[in-house]
Formats: sequence, C-alpha cells, structure tokens
Amino acid sequence: MLAPGAAQIDGTDDMAAASADKHDSGLRKPWGTITAFLLPALTVYVAFTAYPAFRTIWNSFHKVLPRREEMVGLANYAELVRDDIFWRAVRNTITWACASPLIEISIALVLALALYAKVPGARFFRVAWFTPVLMSYVVVGILWLWIYNFDWGPVNAALRAIGLGNWTKAWLGDPATALPSLIFVTSWMWVGFNMVVLLAALHSLPKEVIEAAELDNCGWGAKLVFVIFPLIRATLLNLIVLSFIGKMKIFDLVWITTKGNPLWATETVSTYVYKRAFEWTTFDLGYPSTIAAVWFVIVLAAVLSLTWLFRLREKLEY
Amino acid sequence: MRAKFLPSLIAAAAAIVCTTGIATAQQVKELTFWSHWAAEMPKRTFVEEAIRQFEAKNPGIKLKQTWYEKTALYAGLKTALRAGQAPDIFYAEPDQVEYMENGFLLDLSGLNWGAVEPWAKEAWSYQGKPYGLPLEAWTVELYYNKKTMADLGVQVPDSLQLSPEAFLDMVKTAKAKGITPMALGVGDRPYPGAHVVHEALLKKLGIDDYDKLLKGKLAWSDPRVVDTLKWVRGLIEAGLLPNTFTTLKLAEAHIYFHTNPGALSFLNGSWYTSRAFNPPDKGGQPKDFPLGIMKFPAVPGAACNECRSIAVGGSYVGNAATKHPKEVTAFFDSFLSFEMGNRWLDVVQVQTGIKSDPNKLTGPQAADYFKMIAQTNAGATYYFGIPIQVLTGKPKEVFIQVMNNAFPAGTINVDDAVKQMAAAY
Amino acid sequence: MPTLRRAILLLLLCAYTSFAAGPFVWAAMMSLRTTTEIHRNHFALPSPAHWDKFSEAWFNSNYGVYFANSTQIVVSAVLILTIVGSMAAHCLARYRFRLNRAIYFILFSTIIFPPQITIISLFQILVQYGLYNSKVGLTLVYVAIQLPLTIYILESFFARIPSDLFDAARMDGYSDWEIFWRVSLPIALPAVSTTVILNFILLWNEFLYAVVLITEEANRTLPLGIQRFIGDTQEDVGMIATGLMIAIIPVVVVYAFFSERLIQGMTAGAVK
Repeated sequence: MLAPGAAQIDGTDDMAAASADKHDSGLRKPWGTITAFLLPALTVYVAFTAYPAFRTIWNSFHKVLPRREEMVGLANYAELVRDDIFWRAVRNTITWACASPLIEISIALVLALALYAKVPGARFFRVAWFTPVLMSYVVVGILWLWIYNFDWGPVNAALRAIGLGNWTKAWLGDPATALPSLIFVTSWMWVGFNMVVLLAALHSLPKEVIEAAELDNCGWGAKLVFVIFPLIRATLLNLIVLSFIGKMKIFDLVWITTKGNPLWATETVSTYVYKRAFEWTTFDLGYPSTIAAVWFVIVLAAVLSLTWLFRLREKLEY
Repeated sequence: MRAKFLPSLIAAAAAIVCTTGIATAQQVKELTFWSHWAAEMPKRTFVEEAIRQFEAKNPGIKLKQTWYEKTALYAGLKTALRAGQAPDIFYAEPDQVEYMENGFLLDLSGLNWGAVEPWAKEAWSYQGKPYGLPLEAWTVELYYNKKTMADLGVQVPDSLQLSPEAFLDMVKTAKAKGITPMALGVGDRPYPGAHVVHEALLKKLGIDDYDKLLKGKLAWSDPRVVDTLKWVRGLIEAGLLPNTFTTLKLAEAHIYFHTNPGALSFLNGSWYTSRAFNPPDKGGQPKDFPLGIMKFPAVPGAACNECRSIAVGGSYVGNAATKHPKEVTAFFDSFLSFEMGNRWLDVVQVQTGIKSDPNKLTGPQAADYFKMIAQTNAGATYYFGIPIQVLTGKPKEVFIQVMNNAFPAGTINVDDAVKQMAAAY
Repeated sequence: MPTLRRAILLLLLCAYTSFAAGPFVWAAMMSLRTTTEIHRNHFALPSPAHWDKFSEAWFNSNYGVYFANSTQIVVSAVLILTIVGSMAAHCLARYRFRLNRAIYFILFSTIIFPPQITIISLFQILVQYGLYNSKVGLTLVYVAIQLPLTIYILESFFARIPSDLFDAARMDGYSDWEIFWRVSLPIALPAVSTTVILNFILLWNEFLYAVVLITEEANRTLPLGIQRFIGDTQEDVGMIATGLMIAIIPVVVVYAFFSERLIQGMTAGAVK
C-alpha cells in the first residue's frame, strides 16, 4: 500500500507525503530484531541521560559532599527561593531567549525576502552567511572580546572614526550594555543560519500559488501576509522554537566573555550552576542540582507553552 | 621427579622475591606536583631550584612538576580532588577552607613549625591543626613612578603617607595631565579592585571593627563605613582608575603601570616583583624604572592609619590520600629553614611566612627593594587576611561583584553598594 | 527588476556579508601577523604573512594534541551515533509495536533538556566508573547528547520510504538486518549525511561537557585548548588568532563541501 504522493525519496517531500506508512508486512512482531536495533541506543540513553537526570533530582534533596551524602529534604529548595542571584540569572536567560528569536528571525525574514529574487552568487552568499554558525562559541567569544575591546576594537574604533568618540564604552564591562552586547553577538551568529533556512523554504514554495497571487493583482504586502506567511509558517515556528531553546541553554559564550559579570548582568542559569558546583568554596553538589532541577521544570514549562501557543503538536507526533 | 624440582623451585622463587624486594627498595618514588606561578619566573625558579636540591639530597624521590595558571589550576583541582585524581603536592591559598572541611589535605603537624612565623601557621590552621606550608606572604603596597610623581610636583612626605586631601589633589593633578592616577584591573581576578575599599575601611575602623564588619557583626550601614565609601567614591569620580578597569587583566594592569601607557601609581600585593622583575620582554618593568613605594593614604577620621592587611598567599599543601606521606612531609620540611626563607626573599623579593631576616640579604636589588618595603611597613599593625580570604558563600560572591567590581568601577553608588552588602549576610 | 532596486539589493547583501564574515576575515588576517605587528596597527593586512605561525601553534603550543583529541573523540562519536542512531530510527520507523511512540517521544523530548540537568551527575557517574577525564567517557557522553536529534531526523526520513521496497526485499528473503543495511541506509543517505555533518559541527565545537569532564592537558579538545590560551599570561593576540583559525578551518571545509546536502536536509525537517 503506497501512501499517496510518497514517490519522491529526497529531502524535499511536502506535507502531503507526511505521516509515513508504517506498514509492517510481517504478522508476528519480531521482538528479537526490535530489541537488537533499539538496545544500543536505549542503553546509552539510559546510562548517560535518563539515569543522570534522575540522579540530579535525587541530589537536589541532599547535601552531596565528596565523602558523604546527607538528606536535607526541601532545604535546598527553600534556599533557592530566596536566592536572588538565581532569579536574576533566570530573568537574564529568559530575556535572552525571548529577545533572540524576535531579532534573529525578523531580520532573517526581511533579508530572505529581499533575496527571494534571483541574485548572482547566491551560493557564495549562503556559505558566507552560514560561517558564523560554524564557529564554536569559544571562537566567537574570543573574536567579540576583541571586537568590543575598549582601546582598539573595531566597534569603538569605528565610533571614534566617525566622531562619536564619547559614545565609546567598555561594552562588556558596563552592566547596562553587557547583556544587550551578548544578545547582539548571538544574533550575528544566527541571523545567517535562519536566513539560509528561510530562503530554502521560500524557494521550495509551489510556484503556482505565488503566480496565482500575482495574477490576482496582490500588492507585495498582501502577498506577504496572506500567501507566503501561511506557507512558511511551519518553518518560522520551528526556527523560533529552536532559537528559544538554544538561548535557554547558553553557556559557552558567556563563560568566555564575561563569566556572568558585571554585577550578574550576564549571569545565566548555566553559568550559575557551573559556579556553584565548581567554583564556590564548597564541594557540595546538592544545591547546584536543585538549581538544575528547578530550571529543567521552567524550561519544560516554557517550551510546552510555546508549542501549545503555536499548536505544533502535530509536529511533535509526526 | 617432582620432589627433585621442588627445592630448586623454592630457591628460584626465593631469589625472585629477594631481587624484586631489592628492586622495589631502589625504585624511585614519584610525587606529582601541581603549582600556580607558571609565568612568574622568580617564584618558579625558586621552587624548581628547591625541588632540585631536595631530589639531590633524597635520591629515591622524584617530583613530576606541572605548572599552571591560577584559574586553570583551581578548576582542575576542584574536580580532580573529587575524582580522586589529585596530585600529591599542590598549590593552594588559605582561603580554600573547603579543602580542609572535606578532609582533602594532609595534616602537617609534624613539621618544624619553629621556623615559621606564628601568624603564618595560624592562617593555615583548621581545628587546631596546620595544613599548609605558608611560602608567600604579602602586604598591599602602593607602588608609584617616582619620576612622574616629581613631574607632577607632588611631594611624598617622609612618613610616606599622604593626607586624604593631598591624595585627592594628586589624583586630580594627574588626571588633568592625562595620566591615570592608579592602574588597577579586575578582568580576571576577584580581589584587586577591592584593595582600595578594604585598606580604607581597615584604617577607618581599626582591626576589631573591621573584622566585625567582614564577619557580618557590624552593619555596612554604619556611618563610618558609609563615610569611607563616600570618600572612595570621591576618588573614583575624580578619575582614580582606568576606564578599562572592569576588563583589564592582572598582567595587563602591571604593564599599564610601568610600560604602556604608564600610570602614576599601582595598588598591588607586594608580589608585584614576581611579574615586574621579569625581563621587560616577558612583561617586566623597563630597566631602571624609577620605582617608589608609599603607604596607602590616610583616611579622614581614621581610627588606625597604621593598620594594613597582610595575607598568606601561595602555599603548598599535601593530598590526604597520598601514597607517600613521609616523602611529602620531608619535602615540606626542606623549606623550613632560615636559609630558605632568606633565599626566597633574595630571589623572589616578596615576604614569606618562613622566619627570615631582610637585613641579611645579599643580592643588591633585593636588599634595596626590601629597604623600601621595610619603610612602608614600619610601625604597622597587621590585620591577617584580605576580605576574600575571610568571607565565604554568598557574602563573598556579593563582595566580589560589588566591592571589587561595580563600586570601584563607579557603576553603583554608595547607597546601592551598602544595600547589596547588607542583603548578602 | 529595475536597476536601482537591484543595486540597493546588492549593496544590502554586500553590507550584510561583510558584517557576517568580517570578524572571520579579521581573525584570519591576525593569524598571519605577530602580536607586535598587530598592536602597531590592528587592521592592517599581513605583510609579510607569517605562515610559520601555524606550525608553531601546532607543535609548540600543543594545538596538534588538541586537534588530534578532537578528531579522535568527534569522529568516534559521530560514527557510533550514525550506526546506533540509524538502527534505532529504522526500528522506530518501520516496526509497529506498542511502546514505539512512547519510546520515540521520550527520546525526542530530551532535545529540550537543558544540559544542567545531567551535567552534575554525569560528573559523579563518570568519576564512579573511572571514565572521568578520559576520551572514552567524553565520547560516550557526546553520543548520548546528540542521539535524540539524530534519531529525530533519521526516523522521519526512514518513515517516508515507501513500504513496497521493504515488501519486495522481504519477499526476496532478506533478513531484518539486511533490510536495514542494504535497503534503508542507502536510500536514506541524504538524511544520514545531514546528521553526520550536523553532529560533526556541533560536537567539534562543544565546550560545556568538555570543560566539566576533561581537565587533563593531554586529553583536551580544541575548544578547551583555545580557552586555555586566554589565561592570565600576556595576551598573545597573534598566537590566539592562529589557534582560532586551526579550530575554524576544518569545520568550514566540511561545510563548504557538503553545504548543499545540509540545507536540503534541514529544510526536509522544516518544511512540511
């Protein structure tokens, strides 16, 4: 039984061919085979993802020192509620995770639409814009530390060159500008990526629909809102969720550039967990585990509400 | 047949056992050694030489050395200790109480403590037992460029301590001529910015109240504290610190002071020499640099202008889980002599916790330098430890962010700073 | 399209391209200049171009070791991921059994797990099993963190393969394993290469797990090695830039080579 329209076997199948046919031609369930295929993956998963996750939750109810573990019940959680550094970190991270998708994807969309018309050298541009994403956050962090350098970085040098010398700042040293500066860096990284994906999505839109809209004398605005948007909606939403999740997890960039300074302006939950686990004058791993457990719940709630908001449930099941 | 073989078998076995026994006895014991100071040549040279001498005197012991930068060392130790992979001997500073609290350090009660200054031993004591070899001790000194000072027309009094007004004038004069009054940077360290604040507070409050303040028994909203912070704020607003203060790294701050662009003064630990007396192309000060040292200025309404901080700095500790405790202890003992103390002063030119006599120094540079140190320390009353060695947990973290970083940088004012510190306890 | 509009468009594109690629080009230039030259003029072209800095970085600054470690760990991890992931994806896509969707959902949902929820206990666990500070330990952790994404991409691809291919294979007497190896995998090559590239890029640049689980100099990966150079020695900007280039170039090469495939693969998942 062939699923209708499932003839194309390349990556650009469209929606109609989804919900693949899971027809199993055998009558008996080949449990042996199933186990054999799934076992390696599930073993790795249980050993290095599931078990550690549960163990972290277990840790959160204890004081975990090198030679002993002591059950402290909800004491860590009580301390967490009063911990203003933690809540500052949460605010910073969520601000980042909300601001980034808005900035990255809107700019990417504008640029992708501008490029929708045929432009020479498209392939070159695509590779050039994609390169920021290929760099490790460590590399990006070091580069931007230099770019934001007060004395000789290009940002301040450019400001001085055009006569705006008194606008120069220690961008990463001032609590007011540190976080926006970092958000700017991640936008620099990811706009290119989002643009390339959106461009590919735009190019794979069925030509007939666009042409039909043009024949109906739709203005650019109307064409955009009523025709193009609905068609690339799934891609847009995917990118937004991806960007959101990515920023909730961010660690490397902050660690290389500001480490959460100044005055916790760039403190994220991941840097705070690392500091509490490995840099404070204690060996206790229980409290950082508590932070991790609470953060996990927050991330889960945020992502679930986001996907509910976009009603992506069919995407998850697929 | 079997009976005939048996005696020869036994003889062979016995021979094997005997020879391996002898071989083990002659086997070299290797101790692993991790230390900071990879880039600080005087200290590194001193320790490497000490190790060479120790190995020469004890042929059965060899030390495998790895030299690190401080942040990398601390990060590596934290996890290695927990993972049971820590070295036999490693560098530590007395503020790392968590090592002692968790039983990671070797009890060093058996060392020759008669050769060590009592306050240095005290810095490393936990529950009555000593755990560290206090090699480095340092005071906070105000280094300055004699020539620039003379050019600005500022006269440093014989007491070596400027009055608060004279100091503020000095700051303004320097700033007017485009010279940064004081080089300082907190880009990669949690304590330099706080030197200005804690030395001022120590003088204003005196030893006992300063101690109470740090330990949370005196409120940060105390009027004397607020007044001192206001005075410091005045200095900051007059342009005391470089505008790259928050991102300037320690090594860069040294260069900022003595080479490029050159500042008037530099408030740093007396281990300044470990970097500054390197050759100039390795980050050291230029040849014939007119180095002067003065005392931290008097503070208005101070209880004790003679008070200053002294801290035990780089020390060596033993791993409690070491397989060679006797050898580790023997290694530490090799440092505890008058000659070693004096050699440290000669080579490294920083104070030490080992009993020594700066008047008996032989190297000319060292003798001159220690004369200057002796002058600034004349008549001093000491408080032991800098704030980050005394504070722990949340107060320490907030202190680092507020008093080391934001307040000296001028990003928060006195009221905010006081509020944040008060909320931390 | 009117010429003015075209000109503006091209201007916009070039402006954005210099913005996106600018830092990379600047780093490339600095990698060929010595630090003294750089401090004299931060934006000049390299003259002369010091190509020997690369060999100096490789041999004297240990970048050779870091590069070798990264290669070892990432290549092994990607290999294991491809095999284990495709096996699991094939099974989930083509066999119906009660727990199928449950397992798929559990595996997929861990994509949103923040790393903190596992990193602390992973540290404890690896210490317990003597895998702390070892390349093997890090490789296994890398497999675990990329498994959900790999399975997600591959499963959706395997599921789209028309089943009459499998029916035909079965009728020809192929065993389950042969069906997987000889039918599924070859057809799914685009998706498989997508996951290979994605995993390679993500793991080559991975930092958080590496910084927690590896502290020994001899086992450091490239991101850790670079971080070590921004320690508190006098900042050798020129040398660091050279090191950055050593880290970036492999990934750029891999990407430029496979760029078409990657975009195809990504939009396969994105466009429905």
